[in-house]
Amino acid sequence: MTRTPTDQDHPTGVEPGASAHHEDGSEPDARFTFANERTFLAWHRTALALVVAGLAIIQLLPPFPDIPWGRHLLAVPLISLGAVVSVASYLEWARDQRALRRGEPLPPSRLPRILAAAITGLSIIAAILALLAPPTGR
Amino acid sequence: MGRNRRPDNSAGGDRDPGLARERTQLAWSRTAISFAAVGVAILRTDRAAGAIVIAISAAVWGLGRLPAHERAEAKRGHGLTQRRTVQLIATATTLVSLAALTLALLEHA
Repeated sequence: MTRTPTDQDHPTGVEPGASAHHEDGSEPDARFTFANERTFLAWHRTALALVVAGLAIIQLLPPFPDIPWGRHLLAVPLISLGAVVSVASYLEWARDQRALRRGEPLPPSRLPRILAAAITGLSIIAAILALLAPPTGR
Repeated sequence: MGRNRRPDNSAGGDRDPGLARERTQLAWSRTAISFAAVGVAILRTDRAAGAIVIAISAAVWGLGRLPAHERAEAKRGHGLTQRRTVQLIATATTLVSLAALTLALLEHA
């Protein structure tokens, strides 16, 4: 993108008091709004993928022979992480949209750190489970 | 940051060279497909809950189309329709996650 997006779609700009929400600033460029929405949707797909992964662990993975709670140890955090990502991505969408309206720089996102930390932890748990699980002898 | 109000791109120029709207609609479609995948996974344990989630995926697909013609109003107003839609999806995903969590905890309990 070499060209700066403009507000050409919104010649009237702000309509004060048009909203009961605490929406200040002016309507941002539609492309910024779309981009924010796509980011939100991408996080939601991540959340749904985490939920599906958790359900798949419960439903498809055979139980660990000596560790009956092993599948739950992986699945429950995965699904909970899905719920957390869903809520957090909504909050970030709202925050970013407000920043766009005010023309302020976008605040940094906390989601990558949350997701990376959680997945690292889960990977370590999965590795330990894999090491502890005795060979099935098949 | 989009504050310059040059009335450029006139004379029928390309107003959306990045196809932002189309890409956003496709993102909605992908999200709907993700909902359908979760729905199928839940269907295996709980038919009713799975059917509900699959119905949600159809609704998400539809909502992705809806903003396309509500954009005109959203531009004039304060993007309220968009806010409502986003809130709706966020609530749906959170509820689906919690339902899946319940199913996971009930399994073998």
